[in-house]
Amino acid sequence: MKLYNMKLLTITCEILAQTNVIDILHKHHVSGYTFYEVSGNGSKGIRGQGFQNEKNVKIEVILQDKKLSDVLEEIARTMFPDYTIITYVSDIDVVRIEKFS
Amino acid sequence: MEILELVQANLLTPVVLFFIFGVIAARIKSDLKIPDAISEFLPIYLLAAIGLHGGLEMRKTGFESMLVPLLVAVGLSVLMTLYHYQILRNLGKFNIFDSYALASTYGAVGAVTFSVGLSFLKNQGIASEGYITAILAVLEPIAFILAIFLTNMAVSKQTQIKKQAFTKKDNADVLEINTQQETKLFQVLRESITGKAIVILLGSILIGYAIDTDGFAPIKIVFEDLFIGAIAIFLIEMGIIAGHRLDDIKKGGVFLIGFALAMPTINGIIGVLIATYLGLSIGGAVMYGLLFASASFIAAPAVLRHTIPQAKPSLYITSALGITFPYIIMVLLPVMLILSTAFHNMELMNFGYLVENLK
Repeated sequence: MKLYNMKLLTITCEILAQTNVIDILHKHHVSGYTFYEVSGNGSKGIRGQGFQNEKNVKIEVILQDKKLSDVLEEIARTMFPDYTIITYVSDIDVVRIEKFS
Repeated sequence: MEILELVQANLLTPVVLFFIFGVIAARIKSDLKIPDAISEFLPIYLLAAIGLHGGLEMRKTGFESMLVPLLVAVGLSVLMTLYHYQILRNLGKFNIFDSYALASTYGAVGAVTFSVGLSFLKNQGIASEGYITAILAVLEPIAFILAIFLTNMAVSKQTQIKKQAFTKKDNADVLEINTQQETKLFQVLRESITGKAIVILLGSILIGYAIDTDGFAPIKIVFEDLFIGAIAIFLIEMGIIAGHRLDDIKKGGVFLIGFALAMPTINGIIGVLIATYLGLSIGGAVMYGLLFASASFIAAPAVLRHTIPQAKPSLYITSALGITFPYIIMVLLPVMLILSTAFHNMELMNFGYLVENLK
């Protein structure tokens, strides 16, 4: 089966920053994403306990290379200084490329 | 000493004991935890119960009597947020964002603290005016909106100055920034009014008002008889969260600890005094004082994290939940009750004296 190369952008951030990420995605016309609540440990200490507002969320977005750098640039510029956030990019292959245009 | 006795008696109520128990459970690193769904449900339940109670009481007293206390409360809330900021910025040397975030956290009302206050008065067998619940709903967004507005003003002034230093033809850019901030402010207003706390509170006040005592009878067992028990369960969770944060308190510094103890005391006493002057009952004056003494730790992070993201949430959540909340439920509530009783007696005496003079 023919596979198409795409990028997977993974963002782990505090749950209250989730709307910021989704706003940025919408701004760049990326409408598809998946998120789930997660917990873990990092430079800000153990997260995901206590108040609902202090939980973490992991957002996965599949997108094309050309959109990726714009989205990533805006996330880095507007969110890295103030929010608890980790982002990374991986290469993936998809079957139906038309779903991620 | 009367105050000590009342504080002592208050420490041995289930609500306070469960809170302390939660703190201890967290300190000994127990894995005790209230399930997520329940700890999300309980604040909604508590607000619904408070709202219904308020609505029922308002039906008895009518709206006219609440207008003056409401307007005074709004004015006080604004004034307090402003002087909190001045104290934090100038004496505490906090940066502008932390100052505004903390100022509004302490200017806002804590709904959980409010519930504990109601259960405290219930324990003592003292009634309070129901319309204070409606004031709670109105007051909820005010301190935040003010702080966000002022932060935006300060920030846009700074950017304007910086831009002018670079270029003369900056008007278009500055305008753009201004409109952005206006929409941000509008968004906050909309979000905090349609936020779940205010929606459930106002909804239940209306329902309570509509159903009256007869309609309330069949649901009384859930919303009145279970109320204190539900607070006790919720306070286990609050105790656990506070217990986990105890180490963070030191990071806030001595000034913040002092602020988190002194400010509620001063604001609470001002509230009790003004309420007494406005003619509220003994219990009503305590609840009115509590509106100003309490700090918000559930609503505050949700609003402030979006609007003043530069402020450190560890500062405002930790001081509100770790210091102010336990201090209020253990010490300040009994103190405010005694002060309220004393003020009322004084007023009665003054009034008696006046009547004597008139004769």
